[in-house]
Amino acid sequence: MSVEQLLAYIPLDVALIAANFDRFLWGVWMTLNLTFLALLIGGIIAIPMAIARASNHRLWNPVIWGYTYVFRGTPLLVQTYLIYYGLGQFTVVRDSWLWDPILSSAWWCALIAFTLNTAAYTTELLRGAIIDTPKGEVEAAIATGHSYRSRMRRIILPSAFRRAIPAYSNEVIFMLHGSVVASTITLQDILGVGRWLNGRYYLAYEGFITAALLYFIIVFAITRVFRWIERRYLRHLTRRSEPTPSVELAPSPIR
Amino acid sequence: MTANSALKIDNLHKSFGPHQVIKGVSMEAQKGDVIAILGASGSGKSTFLRCINLLETPNSGDVYLGGEKIRMRKNRHGETIPADIRQVERMRARLAMVFQGFNLWSHMTVMENVLEGPLYVQGIPKSEARDKAQALLAKVGLSDRADYYPAHLSGGQQQRVAIARALAMDPDVMLFDEPTSALDPELVGEVLSVMRDLAEEGRTMLVVTHEMGFARDVSSKTVFLHQGEICEEGPPSQLFTNPETEQFRAFLSRMN
Ligand SMILES: Nc1ncnc2c1ncn2[C@@H]1O[C@H](COP(=O)(O)OP(=O)(O)OP(=O)(O)O)[C@@H](O)[C@H]1O
Ligand SMILES: [Mg+2]
Repeated sequence: MSVEQLLAYIPLDVALIAANFDRFLWGVWMTLNLTFLALLIGGIIAIPMAIARASNHRLWNPVIWGYTYVFRGTPLLVQTYLIYYGLGQFTVVRDSWLWDPILSSAWWCALIAFTLNTAAYTTELLRGAIIDTPKGEVEAAIATGHSYRSRMRRIILPSAFRRAIPAYSNEVIFMLHGSVVASTITLQDILGVGRWLNGRYYLAYEGFITAALLYFIIVFAITRVFRWIERRYLRHLTRRSEPTPSVELAPSPIR
Repeated sequence: MTANSALKIDNLHKSFGPHQVIKGVSMEAQKGDVIAILGASGSGKSTFLRCINLLETPNSGDVYLGGEKIRMRKNRHGETIPADIRQVERMRARLAMVFQGFNLWSHMTVMENVLEGPLYVQGIPKSEARDKAQALLAKVGLSDRADYYPAHLSGGQQQRVAIARALAMDPDVMLFDEPTSALDPELVGEVLSVMRDLAEEGRTMLVVTHEMGFARDVSSKTVFLHQGEICEEGPPSQLFTNPETEQFRAFLSRMN
């Protein structure tokens, strides 16, 4: 059977997808840069917020709690719309220096919304990990003479970051999936290209199936990377390996 | 207070809410003293030990380390708090503590646990700290476990690492809170033998323990705590052969 015959069995216009594949690659780039920049910036600002939350800071704790509550309680789509369509309603915003390079750009608005969203989730996730640091280990750090800052930096955060890895890998995948919101504000991310292809050629599946496949491949890669990270950084949580039961499993010498 | 005083506690009081746990305990350890602290569960032994390095803040009373008093003050609610947290941190670095539950830092290897204090609290150069850590691990018999994580060691091994970690700070006084109580019986011996060696070297130690043999043979002074007060104290030879109070006699008969 030739390749053409084989392709004829697939109810998709493979040739059309192939012809537009460079567009999809640009979509991949758009999805990845939005997702990972948001994760990076959101992750960095989440650290001090999580510390403030975990240490019950008198001023910042309630403020940050309010912020994470709102951003975790509303859909990312709504947050993105409010920033992209909502802020432009105010003449103050439109006249400000922020307008021209940043708030009038769909890419910047998506990045801001995604960053604020993932920062909210990451703050709460890290706060939980910090609070769950075994009390005895914190006391040992205090008893050794570590100051508050130095035990946070040396003991609590390194321990908390490690324990947060499995939950954080979920956040990374959620953020990737959530980034499809970008396609609703004109951006050509993976889904954006899929929608464009379907609309342009009046197709039902081709664009979406290609998009789904690309997302799947990225998730697969992310999962792989996290598996490697967990193996490297969570070794200390694995249980002591039991001595191998040599006697019980040895084949009986008598038949 | 003599020049030889390593640690002195003067009239310490501690309550949790309305519940008075330590009711005016005084104690002094000369350099090289090993003080065994005995007492029934709930008599306040841990609380007393934790007040010394301010893991708990005493309501009143003074702690002197090598003649230097840990300065306390009252806040505006009338509660006692440290006057200078930096001073407290310096004192803690000279007062090593060994816990019942080991409390090793679980994400760090054995070597990293032992290096932590010297490198990041005392700021000792890395190569020097590493040599010392290696020597200490050899001393507690764990040279071959330097790269293990705590979770991959037995309880007895973990407690010996905790002792090496404490020793790495070159502490003036070591505080032990029931260091063998969480161990399986067959692992108690290895930890006690390390502690015996320390006593012989002339380390100053306060040891809360239920090991009567250790108190009798190793301590220079034994203190029996009862309901937050010192009920009986003295050289173990005298205390164990000739208990004076009814409470201590009852305690001893329950322990044997
Ligand atoms: N953080 C706390 N809050 C309230 N009560 C406490 C606290 N810590 C200890 N207590 C109480 O203080 C009393 C003395 O406790 P402590 O742990 O000092 O006793 P212990 O002599 O060490 O006993 P054990 O031999 O069981 O370790 C107990 O009644 C205990 O319930
Ligand atoms: Mg206790």
